[in-house]
Amino acid sequence: MTNYDQVRRFRTYLIGEKVMKFKVSKVAAILATAGLVLGGSVPPAVASKAIRFHLSGDVNVKDLWEKSLIPEFNKLYPEYPVVLVFDRNGANDAQTLAKIIGAKLTKRDPGIDLIDGPVTQLGAAGMLYRANPGLLPNIANVPRVLIKNGRGGIPYRASTVLLAYNSKNVKSPPRDLKSLLVWIKANPGKFTYNAPAGGGSGRAFVQTVLDSNLSPGEIKSLVERADKNVQVKWAKGFEILRDLNKFTYGQNGTYPTNNQATLDLLSKGLVDVAPVWSDMIASALKAGTMPKDVKVIAITGPSFTGGPAFLGIPSMSTNRDGARLLMNWLLSPAAQNLIVAGSMNGLPVIPVSMLDPVASANISDIDIRTLRPPYLSANHSDMNAAWAAAVPGK
Amino acid sequence: MTTSNETLNKENLAVLKTARLSLFGFFLSVPPVLIILLFIGLPIVLAFIFSLGFTSGPNRIIALLGQEIYTKDNWWGTFDAYKSVFNDSRFFGNLRTTLLVSFVTTVVVLTMSLGLAIYQRIRGGRVAAVLIALTLVPLFVPVVIAAFAIRSFYDGTGFFKSLFEIFGMNFPTLTMTTYAVAIGTIWTSLPFSILMISSGMQSIPDALIETAQDAGAGFLRIVRTIMIPLAFVPIVIAATFTAIGVMGSFTIPYFLGANQPTMLGVEIVNFFGPYNRPQQSVVMAFIIFAAASVIGFFYVWANVRSAKLSGKI
Repeated sequence: MTNYDQVRRFRTYLIGEKVMKFKVSKVAAILATAGLVLGGSVPPAVASKAIRFHLSGDVNVKDLWEKSLIPEFNKLYPEYPVVLVFDRNGANDAQTLAKIIGAKLTKRDPGIDLIDGPVTQLGAAGMLYRANPGLLPNIANVPRVLIKNGRGGIPYRASTVLLAYNSKNVKSPPRDLKSLLVWIKANPGKFTYNAPAGGGSGRAFVQTVLDSNLSPGEIKSLVERADKNVQVKWAKGFEILRDLNKFTYGQNGTYPTNNQATLDLLSKGLVDVAPVWSDMIASALKAGTMPKDVKVIAITGPSFTGGPAFLGIPSMSTNRDGARLLMNWLLSPAAQNLIVAGSMNGLPVIPVSMLDPVASANISDIDIRTLRPPYLSANHSDMNAAWAAAVPGK
Repeated sequence: MTTSNETLNKENLAVLKTARLSLFGFFLSVPPVLIILLFIGLPIVLAFIFSLGFTSGPNRIIALLGQEIYTKDNWWGTFDAYKSVFNDSRFFGNLRTTLLVSFVTTVVVLTMSLGLAIYQRIRGGRVAAVLIALTLVPLFVPVVIAAFAIRSFYDGTGFFKSLFEIFGMNFPTLTMTTYAVAIGTIWTSLPFSILMISSGMQSIPDALIETAQDAGAGFLRIVRTIMIPLAFVPIVIAATFTAIGVMGSFTIPYFLGANQPTMLGVEIVNFFGPYNRPQQSVVMAFIIFAAASVIGFFYVWANVRSAKLSGKI
């Protein structure tokens, strides 16, 4: 047997007899055909006008978008379909921020055209595309102070935290923070608030108690920038909260994990008083999941926090025109009526006089310009961590 | 000349055939190994060096976003992140709760599984079959639904509380306590353990048990000297998987546990999200990893010992 024969047999054993029998020309023909078929079946790149909207919030906001806003917008502008991505309670905010920042640094598409979520953080870091106000005609109706607070984000809906109380058991609810604290100690086990890490209503309560021991200048600095020096002054507020452990629901220093858990306790009658979001309680009352006896009141001295939710367009977004169109439409009376009425029961960012009088009958007394703003998110993170170390289980 | 060439060629070709098969096998195993290395191994390495303070490259953006990030001050990194976690007032309480709940759950689950498996092996019959089928129900219920159901069952308006109210007695509200977490983890870990241990018991030959009975061995003696040693590997598998699974659990402690102390799974999520301290959450993850490795080592030892005894190695 010649050497060449040996080599041939070795090759045959390596790659199999059938393959060896295939002539090279046949193989080439098959590969070429496969290439044409695959190449031909790739669809031509369509200029996509879809608006990719990322929503980081609670489920009632998701319902608002899915059931009211997106269908109405697509009726008017069917060539701009809105694709909704929902992130419950901002659980993945860190990844979303990383995606957008990473896209800006690598000059790529972030996959998001419009975002309702950690917008002020993005704005402060310079990651947002700031539309020329001339391109957003409806923005003329929005109060200037709200736009300033947005740092590049545009407000489109607002809500505030209110004190909900069971009017059957609580005949005269406390009207300011001091009398609320007195009421809690006088009625052990009948009040609760959720852990600030889990939901905004408990976070607003904790921030309000802390703020009651700070000067207005100190509160302002916590709203505007990360300030560790002022955070030291939280100690007094945390002491007050720690003292409440024996008097809140359960009387063992445990707190519900999120907004909905607080509403559950309220609806089952296990607590009589609790801080709640204005839109969540209004939706629950309308849907019948909350007994009709539960009413709300805004406390003073200091009041609970609230404010608008902001929309932002990431600077590397590929569909800025569509996002701007959606943003502008959201500031129109038609869209604001949807936010106020329907299932959301939110607060509008344009004057109430521009809205449908029937839908806005219940909200005419809340002036959103005077809502106490929440801390900067970095201070909120520190507050969440400090609360968990100082209060529960102590 | 030709003959010896042919013989040589036949041997060579046999060797080549084996080489071809093992080469083929090697290339078949490369894709899954690559996927594991790339999507599991590489992120673990990146996370580990992030916990040591390497904040450049792929860790750049998470270091930008997070608060309380400790960057390295030596060539090998820094232990500052680990120090800050150990100095946190809540950490050791949470670690103790995690290890305690894992231990208690494993012991209770093993006891219940062994009891049921031995009963089914020795006695058999309809009752045992029905009981085993019932214990498999949690396997088909998603953990979130189970956690929510257990919460509704034990909370302030739950079943036991209402029942005892009828008789004028006070049943404690178990939700938001570590007891409810233990109840939840036992409920969800039971099916796997029962499956493993009962299958291990079923594979014990009848002859051994009957011989022992004929020789006059009592019931407990049979269990201790024959059944448990022969079902040793499945028991170890059930124990280690239960312990490691409970150690890293999130859903049950999130729904049913207290705010503090809680289990480390919930704390890691809290630190990564609401507290915006990703480096500390990675440190805690590696501490759980270290604890789980101890259990994993025990599992490997048991398997090696069993293989040695049966002569496989």
